Amino acid sequence: MTNILKLSDVSKSFGPAQIIKNLNLDIEKGERHAIIGPNGAGKSTLFHLISGHYKPTSGKITLNNEEISDLDPHSINRKGLARSFQVTNIFPKMSVAENIRCGMLWSKNFKYSIFKLLDSEKELNNHTTKILSELNLDHCAHIPAGLLSYADQRALEIGITIASGAETIMLDEPTAGMSNSETARAVELIKKISENRTLVIVEHDMGVVFDLADRISVLVYGEIICTDVPNRVRSNKAVQEAYLGTEGK
Amino acid sequence: MYENMLSYLKSFSSWIILAAIAALLPLMFDSYFALTLLSKMGVLVMFTVAYNMLLGQGGMLSFGHAIYFGFAGYVSVHVLNGIGSEILPYFPIVLFPIIGAIVGASLGCIIGYLSTRRAGTAFAMISLGFCEMATAFTLIFVVFFNGEDGIQTDRVVGPEPIGVSFGPQIEVYYLILFWTLLTVVLMYLITKTPFGRMSNAVRDNPERAAFIGYNVRHVRWIAFTLSAMFAGAAGSLHAINYEHIGFESVSIVQSGQVLFMAFIGGVGHFLGPVIGAIGLTYLDSVLLDITEAWLFYLGVTFSVIVAFAPGGLAGLIVMHGPIARTNKSLLLGLIKPYLTAIGSTLLGVIGTIGIIEMLYFRSLISRGEGEVVIFWYEFNANGFLSWLVFSFLIIAGIYLCRKTYPKARESWDHAISVVKSEISS
Repeated sequence: MTNILKLSDVSKSFGPAQIIKNLNLDIEKGERHAIIGPNGAGKSTLFHLISGHYKPTSGKITLNNEEISDLDPHSINRKGLARSFQVTNIFPKMSVAENIRCGMLWSKNFKYSIFKLLDSEKELNNHTTKILSELNLDHCAHIPAGLLSYADQRALEIGITIASGAETIMLDEPTAGMSNSETARAVELIKKISENRTLVIVEHDMGVVFDLADRISVLVYGEIICTDVPNRVRSNKAVQEAYLGTEGK
Repeated sequence: MYENMLSYLKSFSSWIILAAIAALLPLMFDSYFALTLLSKMGVLVMFTVAYNMLLGQGGMLSFGHAIYFGFAGYVSVHVLNGIGSEILPYFPIVLFPIIGAIVGASLGCIIGYLSTRRAGTAFAMISLGFCEMATAFTLIFVVFFNGEDGIQTDRVVGPEPIGVSFGPQIEVYYLILFWTLLTVVLMYLITKTPFGRMSNAVRDNPERAAFIGYNVRHVRWIAFTLSAMFAGAAGSLHAINYEHIGFESVSIVQSGQVLFMAFIGGVGHFLGPVIGAIGLTYLDSVLLDITEAWLFYLGVTFSVIVAFAPGGLAGLIVMHGPIARTNKSLLLGLIKPYLTAIGSTLLGVIGTIGIIEMLYFRSLISRGEGEVVIFWYEFNANGFLSWLVFSFLIIAGIYLCRKTYPKARESWDHAISVVKSEISS
């Protein structure tokens, strides 16, 4: 297995507060990797660092052996890394189909063109329809995205994330706030879309984590205390103490 | 193929009808006043739609968009004078908007590079700064701008192919009409391109746009440059139309006017600025002669629209679209509550206008016997009765509005709930 994403000695401080401390993490190509940890452990900060929203204070992040530590979000995205957000982050005024189509534009090399009419781009629109049916959103393709139900908006968010065809997908708490049946649907969707891709996921629902993940990293106070396959993480003493608490006993 | 063509024609049918009406207007209104007014409307429609590329489509509030309009006008006048005095080789008048577009795009590219580094309030402040700077420029660099007098020019220069000299106003009107239609259609098509869509995406959610691979600053910068380009083309026509350009065309007044037009028409809809530009230009020309208080009324209208109908006039029309599509009789049911509400508003408005006109009149030095003409009737501004009548109208208007508005709102809520239930079933 080769590493697709590698963090070496990455630290991030906000003023005197060090949120991420000398963190090392290897994500292997094609795996589904979950990052878990108690609230305030720095999971979202870690996502922001990898995707370019924040710049690390020190250390190095590489994607496909290329350093991305100092790049802007759009440059990192163009190198094949796409992410979703903890708080739903879509284009609420645009139609559902338009959201997906926008997610695809850069990867299909449309750039900033003012000489192409999107409605007459057959291949682009066919691909949009295909992704919509994967997401089970084809019935509401032309409704403004802001009017969708919460669960459908979360699905759409995942759809925008995968639309670019990025190799590496990062999902930030994709099932947060969902009912059990909605969560089950979301997990099915995530399984389907992460085939032949690398998935990094932050998730609070342990059921989802143990169902999905090939490997799990446990983040506590800005440090990774353990990275291993689910069964061994479950039985790891340090993890039980720090995170799972009584639940693990 | 044939069917394709037909569906294309169909989707453009409303445009074609609009173009035909605009082309036929001079046959109905052929006075010099009407022709100048129509020409001015054309120029301002073009300018306002260009401005809305920035404000409505791109979400950038600029207080200085007249810079590109005005500077393009100055350059066009200089080129015209250069051709007139045979310093410059001949260049066809028909193609002058291209000169304006180049000037606008170049300036927009430079100023946009600096100002699109920031969005929101900071962007608006920067644009205001540039506007002040541009106005100061026109007054300082007398060689190019000729100070407060501005520059005169003569648009009749060079050869006259097919007998068109662009001397008569009617020929200028058709020149303006041609360019306005062309640029408005182009700007409409741009909203359908990858850039156009991403401009909306950056407006709605810049963070998300960055994470799907787009450099948010570049999108804003391109929008700024294109908008300045079309504004420049309009500025060129403005100069040809008046055969004069002055510092007011780059000033905050001109920038404010285009903002008013876009907002009152409605920034959220592509045709909103067209409605705003035509309506306000008309009122501006007609009311300026009738009342001293026109700017006051404009200010009040603008504030009311921003506060109560942020979608502008187009927004008010478009929000009835879903009702019209589901059930036409629902729309008919709205007419009565709307008319009563509009009627009550009008009462109040007439009363207010009466009071304001009398106040204005009393502040004049030479007010003679106190006879003031309001709505074609003579009132005595010093008489108790006139004040009583208009005050009564205001009070009656307010009273009736309080009765009729809730009814109108109720009918609207009812209609929209029917539409919602029909869509979801």
